Amino acid sequence: MNEMTTLETGQHEQPRLVDDNYLTHSRGLLSWILTLDHKRIGLMYLVSVLGAFFMGGVFALLVRTQLLTPQGTIMEQDQYNQAFTLHGAIMVFLVIIPSVPASLGNFVLPIMLGAKDVAFPRLNLFSYYLWVIGALFFVLALFTGGLDTGWTFYTPYSTDTNSAMGGVIPALTAVFVLGFASIFTGMNFMVTIHRLRPPGMTWFRMPLFLWSIYATAVIQVLATPVLGITLVLLIVERAFGIGIFDPALGGDPVLYQHFFWFYSHPAVYIMILPAMGIISELIAVHSHRHIFGYKFIAWSSVAIAVFSFLVWGHHMFTSGQSALVTVIFSAITFSVAIPSAVKVFNWLATMYKGHISWNTPMLYGMGFLFIFTIGGLTGLHLGTLATDVHLHDTYFVVAHFHYVMMGSALLAFIGGIHHWWPKMTGRMYNENAGRFAWFLVFVGFNVTFMSQFMLGSQGMPRRYATYEGLQENIFQFYHIISTCGSYIMALGFFITGIYLLLSLFNGRRAPTNPWGGRSLEWQCSSPPPHDNFSEQPAVGDCYDFTVLEWSEQEQGYVWRSDVPRPEKEADQSSSEGSH
Amino acid sequence: MTSFVTHMVLSLLGSVMPGSTSDGSGRTFWMPESASTQAPFVDHVFDFINVICYIFLVLITIVLVYFAIRYRRKKGEVNFSGDGPVHSTPLELTWTMVPMLLVVAIFYLGMVGYLDLRRSPSNAYEISVTAQKWSWSFDHPEFAVNQAGEVYVPLGRPVEFLMTSADVLHSCFVPAFRVKQDVVPGRYSRLWFEATKPGTYQLYCTEYCGRDHSKMLALVHVLPEDEFKAAMGKLATEYMDLPEHDLPAYALDRLYNRCASCHSLDGSMVVGPSFQGLWERTVKGETVFTNGEKLSSLIGPGKEFETPEDYLRNSILDPQHLIVQNYAGAMPSFQGQLKERQITALILMMKYLDRMVNEEGIPIESPDLNELDGGDGSESPADDAGTEAGTGQSKDNGE
Repeated sequence: MNEMTTLETGQHEQPRLVDDNYLTHSRGLLSWILTLDHKRIGLMYLVSVLGAFFMGGVFALLVRTQLLTPQGTIMEQDQYNQAFTLHGAIMVFLVIIPSVPASLGNFVLPIMLGAKDVAFPRLNLFSYYLWVIGALFFVLALFTGGLDTGWTFYTPYSTDTNSAMGGVIPALTAVFVLGFASIFTGMNFMVTIHRLRPPGMTWFRMPLFLWSIYATAVIQVLATPVLGITLVLLIVERAFGIGIFDPALGGDPVLYQHFFWFYSHPAVYIMILPAMGIISELIAVHSHRHIFGYKFIAWSSVAIAVFSFLVWGHHMFTSGQSALVTVIFSAITFSVAIPSAVKVFNWLATMYKGHISWNTPMLYGMGFLFIFTIGGLTGLHLGTLATDVHLHDTYFVVAHFHYVMMGSALLAFIGGIHHWWPKMTGRMYNENAGRFAWFLVFVGFNVTFMSQFMLGSQGMPRRYATYEGLQENIFQFYHIISTCGSYIMALGFFITGIYLLLSLFNGRRAPTNPWGGRSLEWQCSSPPPHDNFSEQPAVGDCYDFTVLEWSEQEQGYVWRSDVPRPEKEADQSSSEGSH
Repeated sequence: MTSFVTHMVLSLLGSVMPGSTSDGSGRTFWMPESASTQAPFVDHVFDFINVICYIFLVLITIVLVYFAIRYRRKKGEVNFSGDGPVHSTPLELTWTMVPMLLVVAIFYLGMVGYLDLRRSPSNAYEISVTAQKWSWSFDHPEFAVNQAGEVYVPLGRPVEFLMTSADVLHSCFVPAFRVKQDVVPGRYSRLWFEATKPGTYQLYCTEYCGRDHSKMLALVHVLPEDEFKAAMGKLATEYMDLPEHDLPAYALDRLYNRCASCHSLDGSMVVGPSFQGLWERTVKGETVFTNGEKLSSLIGPGKEFETPEDYLRNSILDPQHLIVQNYAGAMPSFQGQLKERQITALILMMKYLDRMVNEEGIPIESPDLNELDGGDGSESPADDAGTEAGTGQSKDNGE
């Protein structure tokens, strides 16, 4: 109880930057590159992932600019094919999959558990370096002939050494290595959540972000090895001519698609589940209102994780798989719609009778609800067999998965960065700049991808470098709208980068709890000390915000003086969790 | 009823949107022109899903915006009431069950339409389709006719494509018919449709297949039955009856579209060597292959190729045998796709190309090819051509 009091007074009397925090704890380059501190690793991931996001974004803008005119504006066919391949591969493997779990998850997860670190800090650092090695292999692919297979590496094009470019094997190696980074991160988080939860935090008292990270980790650990071994088979076929997927060698190209999507469909949920976790936090905290239907949201994460393994065939409705299999996959696919819909309704209900702050994280949260609704609803057109045959491999699919992967997963990530920025950096960003940039991103996003739904349903195929000489003449109209949208969005991201960077230098010092969150990360100083907590904190209902009140002096939220703090349970085992 | 309402909404929307016409083409704000028996059902399912989407999107957006404004945090609010329910099992069960019932309905409609797309009628007119980088080839077994880059199909009669690929994955997509099917090397896949309106419709490759994926296009011409039969009859015999000196023009007009994506006429290096100056290079034997051999050492009596024509013929039928230096060897074989007389026509086209197209590769209005008959010099050994044409004809008859 003694330490408890210390923590409490610590909270109340330290509004300024704590001198000894994880950023200042040790100095020098080596203290960063050899660090075992989950917070520093999370920050390194964040910087790296955002760097890759910039690269992927540049390729996206090249692609959009090319498509302004039917005959193409700036690239030859070959260059365009490389641009869209690299855009996809970078965004999927280097950005979205590691984005939330590896950067924000790494930073927040142990603190939310009141732990000092993840269960295996060395493995955590190793994951990061695997990511770096994977990224380097992608760079190597660029210098060994380039990569033009599309991010899906479909056979036999990818094994055909005559046509597919020379960078295929380095790129496959990159994805293989990145897969291990993902597996290790997932395993680490699973063990951490199982073993290091503080006393009093039962499974159903965990912040929902942890539920979604846990569900994600299960997919990462179970699905990624399948991708790994598939890519090894592909490398073996390409390098040594052993027939596995190439019919010329006695293989089966459709088998590759089954293997690939057995991972890559669950991978979609590796992307969206952590984003849903972030949204659960954003909506609850910034509505200052208890999350509605905690258990339904938690279970729907688990349900999505389970269903995600059973629907890979919906990427292959026109591949030539049998009609029976196709019908079964369609049926199971619709079952994923239910838990997703449940989450949206629960988030909406959370806002009911809330006290909603219109700050940047909440705007990203509300934007997510709108965008994810469109992304989810257009999934109906694609899960439905009769319409999918028409829409498959057109821009309708491109628009749909950008609504889910970019508009939902990535924008939730950006929202999460804003939400935890004060905690990570100890600085507040400029709120008005944030709102303005969000507006640009939100409008730009919808302009870019809404138009692609019409483009696709009118018949425009994906991955076309040019669209001249066609009977159809309305494609350019939508392409121009889409490209304009992408420029607006790029401007929004550019402004976001600027004000976030500026905040590091002249941002207001962040209080311990700027938003009024109740999960444990809002109880240690901003930025957190090296050890997070000097004593494992006690846990209450992390969505009961009535115990907090605004303090003018702190410019943040503090515990209400008239409400007692949760008691630590007396029978707490002394060592578990304190690591 | 639903589709009536949808169409009302759509036509309202459509009247202010681009690309909508009221010419009865079936084109809407969402869907392209429709021209097959399957298209209306697909469009109705699409519209039905759209209605559900519009309702949910509008409801969710209204609630979202209303809550955001109604419950916006007031200035100076320092602590928060715990108003509002934390959960409500009946409510949550409702919004679990209602979407579940809706998706069951959508799934059922989609399945019905899909099974129809997969089950072709037994009396379908069959066309063998071969996809290869980056062109489409259509064989009409019934008429012994081969078409490339375009295909004639009869109106009002089920047509089935029996498709395979010579190299990588492709996918055959005709938006106006609402059909799509991947074309896979090493196996056959089927796609059927019944066209309801005469006209010309775009066919796309929709599975990424490399460099010129976006140029792997074809046209589907839907013709009334009698016109279709007449057109087939003409295609089956047109090159058989042509006099020798019309063959190069025939090749340029009807056959070159198979070669165009890789072999230019203006001397530019594309995927394969340009046809410009090809004949001169071949006769002089200047061409060097990836194995280091020079063409001049391969052509001549007793050598691998008796004549330059033999080499060119071999390059069309077995292109991987010798690959010209600095090229990747991406060419597929045209064995079985071209009749002997058509190969002869192509070789003659290469021979007299400089008289048929200008430096930029643009066809000359009325090329002077009369001297072909005369055989005025060493450059045009009419005997060779004649012999080849002769063997070609006998082979055609054998097939």
